[in-house]
Amino acid sequence: MARDKIYSEEEFPSPLQQLWSSFRQTNVAMLGFYGYLFLTALAILSPVFTPYNSMESNLDVLLLPPAWDSHGDVSYLLGTDSLGRDMLSRLMHGASLTFGLSFIVVIISLGVGVLFGSVSALTHGVKSSIFNHFLDVILSIPTLLLAIIIVAILGPGLSNTLWAIVMTLIPQFIHVTHNAVKEEFSKDYVLASRLDGASSWRILQYSVFPNIVEKIINQATLAQSAAILDIAALGFLRLGAQSPLSEWGAMLFSGLDLFYIAPWTVYLPGLAILFAVLTTNLVGEGLRHAVKMRKEN
Amino acid sequence: MNLLDIRNLSIELKTKQGSILAVDRVSLTMKEGEVRGLVGESGSGKSILAQAITGILDDRWEVHADRFHWKNQDLLRLSPQERKSIIAKDIAMIFQEPIACLDPTTTVGEQLEEAVPNDQLTGYFWQKNKQRKLAVINLLHKVGIKNHDKCYRSFPHQLTEAFCQRVMIAIALARQPLLLIADEPTAAMESTNQGQIFRLLASLNQLKNMSILLISHDLENVTHWTNTITVMYSGQFVEAGTTEQIFNSPYHPYTKALLDSSPKANIELPPKSRLTTLPGSIPVLQHLPIGCRLGPRCPRAQQICVKAPKTTNYHGHQVNCHYSLKENY
Amino acid sequence: MLMFTLRRLSLFFFTMLLLSILSFSLSYFFPGDVLVNLSGEVNASPERLVLLADQYKTNGSIINQYIHYVTNILQGNLGVSMSSQLPNSDEIANFLPATIELSITALVISMFIGIPLGFIAAIFHRRKIDDIILSFAIIGYSIPVFWLGLFVILIFSIQLAWFPSAGNISLLFEIKQLTGFLFVDILFSDSPYKWQAFTNAFSHIVLPASVIALAPATVFIRLARTAMMEVLDTNFIQAAKTKGLTFTQVIYRHAIRNALIKMVLHIGLQFANLITFAMITEVIFSWPGIGRWLIVSIYQRDYTAIQSGLLVLSSFIFIVHIITDFIYAALNPLARENKHGT
Repeated sequence: MARDKIYSEEEFPSPLQQLWSSFRQTNVAMLGFYGYLFLTALAILSPVFTPYNSMESNLDVLLLPPAWDSHGDVSYLLGTDSLGRDMLSRLMHGASLTFGLSFIVVIISLGVGVLFGSVSALTHGVKSSIFNHFLDVILSIPTLLLAIIIVAILGPGLSNTLWAIVMTLIPQFIHVTHNAVKEEFSKDYVLASRLDGASSWRILQYSVFPNIVEKIINQATLAQSAAILDIAALGFLRLGAQSPLSEWGAMLFSGLDLFYIAPWTVYLPGLAILFAVLTTNLVGEGLRHAVKMRKEN
Repeated sequence: MNLLDIRNLSIELKTKQGSILAVDRVSLTMKEGEVRGLVGESGSGKSILAQAITGILDDRWEVHADRFHWKNQDLLRLSPQERKSIIAKDIAMIFQEPIACLDPTTTVGEQLEEAVPNDQLTGYFWQKNKQRKLAVINLLHKVGIKNHDKCYRSFPHQLTEAFCQRVMIAIALARQPLLLIADEPTAAMESTNQGQIFRLLASLNQLKNMSILLISHDLENVTHWTNTITVMYSGQFVEAGTTEQIFNSPYHPYTKALLDSSPKANIELPPKSRLTTLPGSIPVLQHLPIGCRLGPRCPRAQQICVKAPKTTNYHGHQVNCHYSLKENY
Repeated sequence: MLMFTLRRLSLFFFTMLLLSILSFSLSYFFPGDVLVNLSGEVNASPERLVLLADQYKTNGSIINQYIHYVTNILQGNLGVSMSSQLPNSDEIANFLPATIELSITALVISMFIGIPLGFIAAIFHRRKIDDIILSFAIIGYSIPVFWLGLFVILIFSIQLAWFPSAGNISLLFEIKQLTGFLFVDILFSDSPYKWQAFTNAFSHIVLPASVIALAPATVFIRLARTAMMEVLDTNFIQAAKTKGLTFTQVIYRHAIRNALIKMVLHIGLQFANLITFAMITEVIFSWPGIGRWLIVSIYQRDYTAIQSGLLVLSSFIFIVHIITDFIYAALNPLARENKHGT
């Protein structure tokens, strides 16, 4: 609530600081945030910390159960898979593949999508209408289907998965940015800047972008959780990361045949995917909740 | 006989930072057939007071009172259910933006039919529908809507604000209430429509002997249409009395400032000079002054004003001030 | 209403145009000979190739080719699957109804679970049950659908043996195919074991439909909760309370209708999401649907099948969008007004 500063000891935090303080107060969101930081650290530092090389197979210890089982061995904390590779190292390396790749994917599509979205919001008339219809058509195709088609064109492989998912996320960012910029442009403070003589680019840079950053970040968290699931799904369908890469979805698929005798090869990667998506969703929910709390105050 | 008798009603809001006293010991009485105005700026707690009387505040608010009588029946001793049923039978309320107060997805006719209580309809099961329709047409005629057919079938967004306010009054009249609380009924309208609505309320008051509690911040309109006035400031009771008493001899500095700031009172001022106002603005809920809340702004405030003043009564003209302006009259 | 229908029809036409251009261009993007990609006949003899070239006009300009491509589709000729050499339209007609059955069942389950839970969470806002429902929604949204499918098979099929884990009906039943929709066919067949066939088909559909329904149900919980909270905050709910209606009456008569209206558009959008999950679940449960056929075609690099599958699936999703738009306009009088293209 804006008011004159009457009391000298009173502080008025900026909107960003208000957001951070309401985010901090929600315990669940902070838990998710710590988990997210943990995964990021894991993704960056995993080559340093893995106990064994994730692709090295040791034929003496095939299908060892996790350490808490009676047949397990504590030096292979989470057991091994059918080729004798340590599950813990594979999972940690998979963090940099599934989680780290999703982060990169979101950054790329954010950059391209926001650029195209804001440019398209500045156009009017028939051009804009055609572009919007085109965007609607692309958005109506399910993202996994689109990714599968692109992978079918380009061929399977991890880098092709990256491009495919980038191509499916860009329309979503364009859509969100386009709507947000259009909404801001119809507000009065932009009109005031225009009457001052500001060019569209300047208005975008100084007036509009600081106000739509939150919506874009919101879309980014949603996009990242979708990207993690899509990378894992493509890996599971053998269209993404190929073995011996230890991407979590591909690990899940390779554990399928021996599901009954070695269930840990299936449920451990699944739990990892669940954890990654859950923390991303918690961070996203926490941000949305903090924005709502800030609006109410 | 007093219809409504409220003594020292307080409404507290429980927040994480502590509890905020939004309404601080306000007293209000209403007689039968009386039109009372409740005047105050936005933020003075008048809407919250009205909502507390009709019982539609949610769990975050706590309501305490020394006395809360309706038709000499003590409502504080009853359970919330019983209180609600008594109030719903006799008290009705109309709100500020009438189009927003109607369901946008059902026709106006359906909403009116809902408001007609079941016990007003005599007759057998299959006759009830027809009787309901007749009752609705009757109500529409009472509020001055002649072509009821069109009104019956339209949706709220197809009608004007003044029209919808008449519909809201019709809904309120369906239960034949003894008290109608009008929470800023004309804030969203032009002055011609405002006059129409006020005339309608005045005629209802005269014909049906229905008491009206008119909540407004527009002092000129209120002084024209009411018998008695209660003034509130920042959740506290300031002054109450008949309209002539308040208009001709305001005892409280705040009431005097209110009357002085209207354009009519300032006609003698030279052109291009400032209108007379109190300096400052209404305090925020997080930083309420102790004692008399007008203290920081009042021109007559002394040290004793940090203690809340007691109400003094001069022949029915009540004022809540340590340094009232009584000696000027 | 007429203007609204016309506008929607023009949007539909435009979208179909774009989709067909997209799938036509795929035959150029896919590796291999364009003519083979278009028609699907891998082992065609040279004379056959000449005939096909004439049919698809590959010797002419691109626009000519495109027009003939569309003409072929409208005549029902979607080419031939490269792996099985059977006409694509037959295969699609075989598999599409099973997918439609599965996804509609999943949609219904998710709506019937998600929307009431969301409403309950909003009505009891700030109390424990709201937190419980929200946590369930967040966890449910984060579970990867393939993992959930495997787990459900492990627990319900293998360990508890309550439900079967593959196919859409036991092979012992011989149901004649009339419409392709299994439940409809069972009802229309004159087999003496009609009731057993029905229960058998029902037990086959429960697991995959529930797996697909989980993620959309959590989305519906959140959407319903937000919509209902917005509605409960509005002025007219307060005004309705002063009318003398009890709280439950207010909820049933006004709040639910308004909240549903806010949500209907999103339900249609969720359908695309649901189809994605259906595709993966069909692979896990060996459900004979179009999703599984499409994924198998991708493994086999069957480009003609991929093209036609994409076209049919996307058109289906778009038709569902348009139907949802119509339902929304029928329910909400405000939406029939002028709305420019999104």
